[in-house]
Amino acid sequence: MTTENPDPATGEVNFMDPAFAACPQPVYAKLLAHFRVATTAVLGTPVLSRYEDVIWALRHPEIFSSAMDVHMALGTERPMIPLQVDPPAQTRYRKILDLRFSHKRSLELEPQIRQHANQLIDGFIGCGECEFNSAFAIPLPCFTFLSLMGLPHEDLDLFIELKDGIIRPPVAPEDLVGAYEHRAKTGKRIYAYFEKVIEERLAAPRDDIVTYLTSAEIDGDRLTRNEVLDICYLFLLGGLDTVTATLGCSLAYLAANPDQRRRLVQEPRLGPTAIEELLRWETPVTMVPRLVKQDVKVGDVEIKAGTLVNLLLGAADIDEAEFVDAGRVDFERQRNRHLAFGGGTHRCLGSHLARMELRAALEEWHRRIPEYSIKPGETPQFSPSIREVRYLPLVWNGRK
Amino acid sequence: MKVRVDHAKCAGHGRCYDLAPEVFEEDERGHCHIPNATVPAGLEAKARLAAVNCAEDAITIEES
Repeated sequence: MTTENPDPATGEVNFMDPAFAACPQPVYAKLLAHFRVATTAVLGTPVLSRYEDVIWALRHPEIFSSAMDVHMALGTERPMIPLQVDPPAQTRYRKILDLRFSHKRSLELEPQIRQHANQLIDGFIGCGECEFNSAFAIPLPCFTFLSLMGLPHEDLDLFIELKDGIIRPPVAPEDLVGAYEHRAKTGKRIYAYFEKVIEERLAAPRDDIVTYLTSAEIDGDRLTRNEVLDICYLFLLGGLDTVTATLGCSLAYLAANPDQRRRLVQEPRLGPTAIEELLRWETPVTMVPRLVKQDVKVGDVEIKAGTLVNLLLGAADIDEAEFVDAGRVDFERQRNRHLAFGGGTHRCLGSHLARMELRAALEEWHRRIPEYSIKPGETPQFSPSIREVRYLPLVWNGRK
Repeated sequence: MKVRVDHAKCAGHGRCYDLAPEVFEEDERGHCHIPNATVPAGLEAKARLAAVNCAEDAITIEES
């Protein structure tokens, strides 16, 4: 049985449909064409798709708030900082955080990331195949995170377990209570882990982010212990899966589109525009939530204060009103104001780091493994929400 | 040609200094910094490309 997504009569859209995660663009196109304000199938909350509506919402946090009471869903005891905080407090946090996540600072990690990417490739290149997600897309961002935070690399498996415990708790999909309990339990472990790290850094400061957070001052005030914890918690959840998903979506696209891949490999000048185009087309973080603070009208639909809305970044990124020939993947696209990292005051703090990781990973991968394809007879499997390609079997020939 | 940035709008995407580093620089937070508002001759197209890639519409170009 197939059901149309979105429902052509009501505009109800099912984001949990695996077919949506695997190939969301046709769903976006229908939403853009027919439903300026759609609704989600599960909660019935409004969905904004047009570029102009999404960027407007992102730029107006006083109407579209990020401070919402959904934080318990992620095992947290308080809002994550700065993601779930509104200006002016958010702006103050960003002032000190931006300094450590600037474009320049992100480049400092690049040699380490390239080296680690090569170590990972060394481990499987001789096999002629790998499952990309577990072999590369998961460990590389975890390594980056540990390096950045100044944490021991032996903790890699622990971190993967902790973030998975929040993002995909090991219970049946319909077991909401079990999921909630597992998240709450995992959340306590995350807080306890970082509590210990904070203690250690206070006793023996080092050149790392946790030390920086314990000593940074905003207008003369230091962050409280809880503020440091709430920032670390966000880094763990925000810094790992998003990059994993971006690497997976990019490689899945390039494996399935050999002509595009060969052009990219043969013409390195295309690298920068190709990366922006992959981010636009795939937009792995498909949507972000906002809480409406005052009644607003979008088109002729009124949205009441107190409503949770979904800003569908992925749909905005294929809106013909913003992008010329939006349905075509063009590695030479000159104007590309995609919203894969959001926009406005909450623009992804890690965007510079993510771009560097994606560039380094694609360059090193293609230097070592320029020709590859999806394993014959196999189909990549995508998870919804953040479009992680949880199963991506790749094959190649030859050694380099 | 002159370029200006509205710092209240700039969100630090960094597209401008990536696309036209001769015209735009990054400040310590990774936000746009324009050391010299007058665009050197020959770099006008690059400056325009950077401006149209700003998702926040923070860059204004004055053609002379």
